[in-house]
Amino acid sequence: MSATEPRSKPDSGERIASDPAPTPAPGTSLPAPAAAGSTPEIARTSPAPGTPAAETPAAGAPASESPIAQAAKAAADRDAGQVTGEPRPRATRPAETAMLGGVCAGLARHLGWPVLVFRVGFVVLMCIQFVGVVIYGLLWLLLPPEPIRAAPGLESAARSGMRDATSAFSFRRFDWGSFFALAALGVGLLWMIQISGLGMAQEIFWPLLLACVGVALVWRQADISRQRQALAELSAGPRSVRAATRGRTLTVLSAIFGLVLVGAAFALILAQQGNFELLPNVAAMTMLALAALAIVLAPWLHRSRAELNEARAEKVRAETRADMAAHLHDSVLQTLALIQRQSDDPKVVQRLARRQERELRSWLYGEQTEQVTFKAALTAAAADVEDDRGVPIELVTVGDSPPSEAVQAIVAAAREAMVNAAKHSGADKIDVYAEVFDDELEVFVRDRGSGFDLADVGPDRMGVRRSIIDRMERHGGSAEIRSDPATGTEVRLKITNGS
Amino acid sequence: MTQPPNGPVSAPSPTPRPDAPGSSSTAGRHRVVVVDDHAMFRTGVKAEIGRAVEVVGEAADADAAINVVLESRPDVVLLDVHLPGGGGIEVLRKVHEKNPEQKFLALSVSDAAEDVIGVIRAGARGYVTKSIAGDELIDAIRRVAEGDAVFSPRLAGFVLDAFSGAIDISSVDEDLDRLSQREREVLRLIARGYAYKEVAKELFISIKTVETHVSSVLRKLQLSNRHQLTRWATDRRLV
Repeated sequence: MSATEPRSKPDSGERIASDPAPTPAPGTSLPAPAAAGSTPEIARTSPAPGTPAAETPAAGAPASESPIAQAAKAAADRDAGQVTGEPRPRATRPAETAMLGGVCAGLARHLGWPVLVFRVGFVVLMCIQFVGVVIYGLLWLLLPPEPIRAAPGLESAARSGMRDATSAFSFRRFDWGSFFALAALGVGLLWMIQISGLGMAQEIFWPLLLACVGVALVWRQADISRQRQALAELSAGPRSVRAATRGRTLTVLSAIFGLVLVGAAFALILAQQGNFELLPNVAAMTMLALAALAIVLAPWLHRSRAELNEARAEKVRAETRADMAAHLHDSVLQTLALIQRQSDDPKVVQRLARRQERELRSWLYGEQTEQVTFKAALTAAAADVEDDRGVPIELVTVGDSPPSEAVQAIVAAAREAMVNAAKHSGADKIDVYAEVFDDELEVFVRDRGSGFDLADVGPDRMGVRRSIIDRMERHGGSAEIRSDPATGTEVRLKITNGS
Repeated sequence: MTQPPNGPVSAPSPTPRPDAPGSSSTAGRHRVVVVDDHAMFRTGVKAEIGRAVEVVGEAADADAAINVVLESRPDVVLLDVHLPGGGGIEVLRKVHEKNPEQKFLALSVSDAAEDVIGVIRAGARGYVTKSIAGDELIDAIRRVAEGDAVFSPRLAGFVLDAFSGAIDISSVDEDLDRLSQREREVLRLIARGYAYKEVAKELFISIKTVETHVSSVLRKLQLSNRHQLTRWATDRRLV
């Protein structure tokens, strides 16, 4: 139960404390935060911090937009202040406001500046000897992606398929307008610099650009696939699994495309050096070097992978615990609601409380029996009668027996006896005791209500004779009823259980 | 654990017991310490039993409980089985090291066999679930204070379960390791929901004899290490 505690905590101290450690290469998925998912707080409450100004139609009018961006930022700050009680959200890369890697959006949110400033800034920096690109790439690697977080009850409900997580975290529509505006700005600037002769040599510039685009493509795809995977883990529903599979092929395709671009950049450089005939040799040497590197790094890679799996398994266990806790809390909440609504009927309240108690007990301390054994069947029968009639039944069993005809008969008769006691005796409690001997089953059903005389059992109470006594005798058992107005009634059932 | 051994099981006379210091002077009102980590539950229990017993202390965890109990030396400690700081069993052990005469009545929401048998084997004089009615709880406290054992139907069922099978008398050499026929009958009736009084009537014996039988069963349960019980306990990960 306490497993839910840290998870429900909004991003306060704990998340700050864990520093933005250099994330592993984007290809490998992060253990906890990544799988925990993308931000519901933001997805839900969302004037997301650093919402791109281009949310508004005109893409090319930064001056008129910045107030909006600032308003959004202010709202976001207010939000953040209310939710977390801290001045500055930790720098992460939010997935749903990201244009490329989410670096600008994350920085904007972290520093509280309009996101457009960063976007334009990076585009301009890019033109100065690709400085912007290098910084952007570094930040992309360093900033952790923003995890998906929801209340434990919601997360667990999503995991067990009781709610659809994908609809809750649908990705923001991609903002083509501002993308093209920024791209145009970047291309224009680059063009100008190249034309004016201040730029790099053409033979370096083009391969570099190509390589950058390729790398960005691969990295972004890695980010997206991680998000998708997290979502798929969150909601085990078939729909999202299909979506995740579809996403995976897309990921693979665009990763391949990115790699081809990078390869093309290399080839271009080689071609420009004029050593085209050396290409096979260079390729072979490169492959050899890569293979050697892989061999050297193999143990380390293996270990980190094992640790990753371990962390993942631990997370699954934690989630299972959280699910259990959520289930319990959920059913208790339901019962409390019912009790509030029917608080004027003590009988109903008692029945509800009793049923809830039984459920909790079996969850917390119960022995899980798959098979419908004697004990299990009797427990179920007692629970049924208790629910139907609202009289608590105290059941004690000694030993157990696999299902058989005798078991069925005696359980049915015992059930009838319990119903009778609950219906007619007026007792506030029924004691049932069952014992399994080597070749015999015995059940006692006892109440302390108003007894009756078996001799003058009315026609409306033929259940006693037919369902209890006759049934037991038909199966080679016996039923004995002792009743007395002073002490109540006890039904003793006995049957041989030849195995 | 170091209970003075009862007299012969057959003797129907009440076994005199040394009372805890200061208990005899309180004119019928027993002194009780309530140990439970839920404040709401402590309050409820105090309200329910306050009219019949004197609640002289309460504690919310094992360490506090050990101190309070050793200091105030109550007649009976109402002890929750699940308790921060080692659980009720820890309290039983630590207190019995210093004061082996201290009487405990275990109280729990859990009716898992592990908990029930575990706490009895650790030295509690009885076990009731928390859903017990106020009057019955007062009765149970009185019974424990007077040196008897309190067996709920469920506890009786567990004990029968633990000692069941192989009543092969010839192969059992130690008296501790099996229940006598009479004890078995008494337990079975308790499990069927009979009060001690009704058990006595049913078996044509005195209430005191019933109590003696139950105390004897308790002692066997606590002291016996017969293989049957050990195996039963091992099966349920008790030891």
